[in-house]
Amino acid sequence: MLENFSFRTIVEYLPLFGQGFAATLWLSIVSFAGALAVGIILCAMNLQRSRLLQLPAKIYIDAIRATPLLAQLYFLYFGLPRLGVVLPELFVGILALALNSGAYIAEIIRAGILSISRGQVEAGIASGMTYAQRMRLVILPQAIRVTIPPLLGQAIVLVKDSALLSLISVAELTRAGQLLASDRFMPAEGFLTTAACYLVLYYGLKSLAAFSARWLGVRPIGSRT
Amino acid sequence: MKMTRLFVAGIALLGMTVAANAGTLDDITKRGELRVAVQTQGPPFSMVDSAGKRTGSSVELAELMAKEMGVKITFQDYDWDGLIPALLSGKADLLVADMTPTLARAMKVAFTKPFMYTGSAVFAKTDSKFGTMDACKAKGTKIAVLLGATGEKVAKETFPDAEIKSYKGGGPLLLDAVNNGQADCGVNDVSAVKGQQAAYPAGSFTIMPEVLSKEPLAFATRYDEPDLLVWMNLFLDQVALDGRLQKNLDYWVNSEDWKKDHQ
Amino acid sequence: MIWFQLQSLIGSYPLALRGLGMTIALSGISLVLGTILGFALGVLRTSGSRMLDSIIGLWVDLIRGTPFLVQIFLIFFILPELGVELGAFTAGIIALTNLAACFICEIVAAGIRSVPTGQVEAALASGLSQWQRMRQVVLPQAMRVSLPPLVGQYVLLIKDSSVVSAIGLTDLTRVGWLVVQRVPNGLLVFAIVGIGYFVVCYPLILLARRLERRMSAAHGEVQL
Repeated sequence: MLENFSFRTIVEYLPLFGQGFAATLWLSIVSFAGALAVGIILCAMNLQRSRLLQLPAKIYIDAIRATPLLAQLYFLYFGLPRLGVVLPELFVGILALALNSGAYIAEIIRAGILSISRGQVEAGIASGMTYAQRMRLVILPQAIRVTIPPLLGQAIVLVKDSALLSLISVAELTRAGQLLASDRFMPAEGFLTTAACYLVLYYGLKSLAAFSARWLGVRPIGSRT
Repeated sequence: MKMTRLFVAGIALLGMTVAANAGTLDDITKRGELRVAVQTQGPPFSMVDSAGKRTGSSVELAELMAKEMGVKITFQDYDWDGLIPALLSGKADLLVADMTPTLARAMKVAFTKPFMYTGSAVFAKTDSKFGTMDACKAKGTKIAVLLGATGEKVAKETFPDAEIKSYKGGGPLLLDAVNNGQADCGVNDVSAVKGQQAAYPAGSFTIMPEVLSKEPLAFATRYDEPDLLVWMNLFLDQVALDGRLQKNLDYWVNSEDWKKDHQ
Repeated sequence: MIWFQLQSLIGSYPLALRGLGMTIALSGISLVLGTILGFALGVLRTSGSRMLDSIIGLWVDLIRGTPFLVQIFLIFFILPELGVELGAFTAGIIALTNLAACFICEIVAAGIRSVPTGQVEAALASGLSQWQRMRQVVLPQAMRVSLPPLVGQYVLLIKDSSVVSAIGLTDLTRVGWLVVQRVPNGLLVFAIVGIGYFVVCYPLILLARRLERRMSAAHGEVQL
C-alpha cells in the first residue's frame, strides 16, 4: 500500500477532511466551554467548608480521574438510552468530554487558587476585606493569570480526546480518516492525513499557550500535555 | 461461472508452479496453523457466545477447513472494516465472514465462490412511525449502516434524501441504534439482522419485506495465494455435495436453532 | 429483566477476567519498557547536544500532538506495510510503550532541568566526570522531583490502554463493548467496567498524592 501512496485520493477526500476538521474544532470548543462550567462548579463545591458539598465533588473528581474516558463515553452512549434519554451521538460525545475534562479543570483551578501565597490573603484580611472582596480583588485575578497556561494544556488534551468520538460514529476528523481507509482500502493515506490535521490544531494551540504565557508573564505550572 | 473460475484458478496455479514458488498451503502445513480473520460480533456467522467461546456459521466452517488440512486454527477478530486490511497485511491467511464479493473489494482480495445468498433489507423498531419503506425514504431520516459494508452503499442509493450514519464495529450496533432511537431505520443483510435480533425481546424489530439487493456471500484470501483459493473452492464444493454446508446453514442461518445452545 | 441481565453478566465472568488480565498485561509491559526507554531519552535530551534535543523534541511533539487513537491505527495498519509483521497485541504494546516513553522522557527531562545549576557547577568544580555528576548529583535529585508525576503518568497509561480496544484487543473496555451488545444494559455493564479500572488506578492515584505531599514541591502540578 505504501509504494502506491495516492495523493490524488487524499485530494479527492479533502472536502471530507475539511468537514471533519471543522467538526472537531467546533465540538472541541463547545465541549471545552462545558468543561469550564463543570470545572468551576466542582471547584467551588470543593472549596466549601461544608462536607455536604465537598464530598460529592471529591468523589466525582476521583471517579473520573481513575476511569478511562472511553469507558465513560460508552457508559453514556449505551447507558443514557436506558434512562430514556436519547441524544444524537454528537451531544453524547460533547457531554462525555465536558464531564471528563471538567474534573481536571476543577483541579487546575483549585491548584491555581491555592497557589496564591498566604501573604496576599493575610494582606487582604489586614486591609479589612471580606471573604468575597478578597476573592474578587486579590485571589481570583492572580489565580486566573496562573491557570490559563494549564487550561490551554487541558484544551490540547481535549482536542485529542475528541478523536474517541469517532468510535461512536460522530462525523469528525478521525472518522474522516476511517472512511477513507475503509472505502478505498487505504489506511496509510487516511490516517496520515488525519494525523497531519491534528498536528495543525496542536501547533496552533501550543503557540496560543506560549503567547499567552509570555503576555501574562507567568511561568507555566507543569502541564499534562 | 464455476468452470471459468476453476479454469482461471488452474492457470494461476500453473503459473505459480512454473515460477517454482513454495505455495501458501505448504506454508500453512509447515506452520501447522491456519490463521483466520473473523468478525468480532456478527451473529450468526461469527460471535462470542455467553460461555465466551467463539462460534458461528463461518467459524464452524473455518474449523472444518483446518481439520481437513490437518492443522490447528487461530482466530483473529476484527471490526467489519478491519477484515480486509488484516488479510492484505498478511496477518491472516483468509477471512471468513458474511462478506459480499463486490467488484471494488475484488480489486484487492480474491473471493471464493459463494456459499450462500442473502439480500439487504431495511428494518425499523416495531410500532415506530418508520414501519414502511416510504417513511424511511423521507428527507432527514437517520439510516444506520455498517462502516465498510455493502448495506452502506445500498442505503445511499435507495435513500438519497436520508442521513446515512455509518457505525464502526458490527451489525448488532445497528440494532442497538435503532432500538434506542439514535437511528430511525437500519440497512443490513437480512441474515445478519435475523440472527442479531435474538438479543432483544421477540418482536422488537420489523423487517420490511422488500429486498433491496440480492447478494452472494463468500470467503476471501489474497491474490498471492492461488493454491489456497483453489483449495477453498474445492472445500466449498465438497461440503455442498455431502450436505455439511446445508446442515451448517440450516442450523445457524435458516432457523433459530442455534439460539437454544448459544444464548 | 434486570435480574435476567445480571445472571447473563455473571455468566460472562471468565471473559471479564480475561479482559482485566489483558489490560494489566498491556499496561504493565508498556510501563516497564516505556520507563526504561523514556528514562534513557530524557537523559539524552538534557545531555547538552542541541541536535539530540531537537530530534527528540520533534518526536515528543508528534506524539503529544496527535490522538493516541490515531497513533494506534497508524501502527496497526501501516507498520505491516513496512515489513513489520505484527498482531494486535504487539501493535498495542508498541503504541503504548511509545506513548509512555514520550511522556516519561519529558518528566525525566524536567526533573533533570530542575536541579539547580549551582549543584552542577559545584560538581564540575569538584572534578566529577559527566557520568559521575549525573549519577551522584543530578539524577538522585531529579528522581525525587520526577517521582510523583511519574506515578501519575502510570495512571494515565493504564487509562490510555483502553483505546487499544479500537483495534480489537480484548481488554476490559472491549469486553464491556462486547457484552453490552448481548446484554443491552449500558449503565450496568460500564459501571462494572469503571469499577474494574478504579480498583487498579485509585491506589496509584493515592500513592502519587502521598508522594507529592512528601515532596511538597511548588514545582510540577500532578494532573492525574
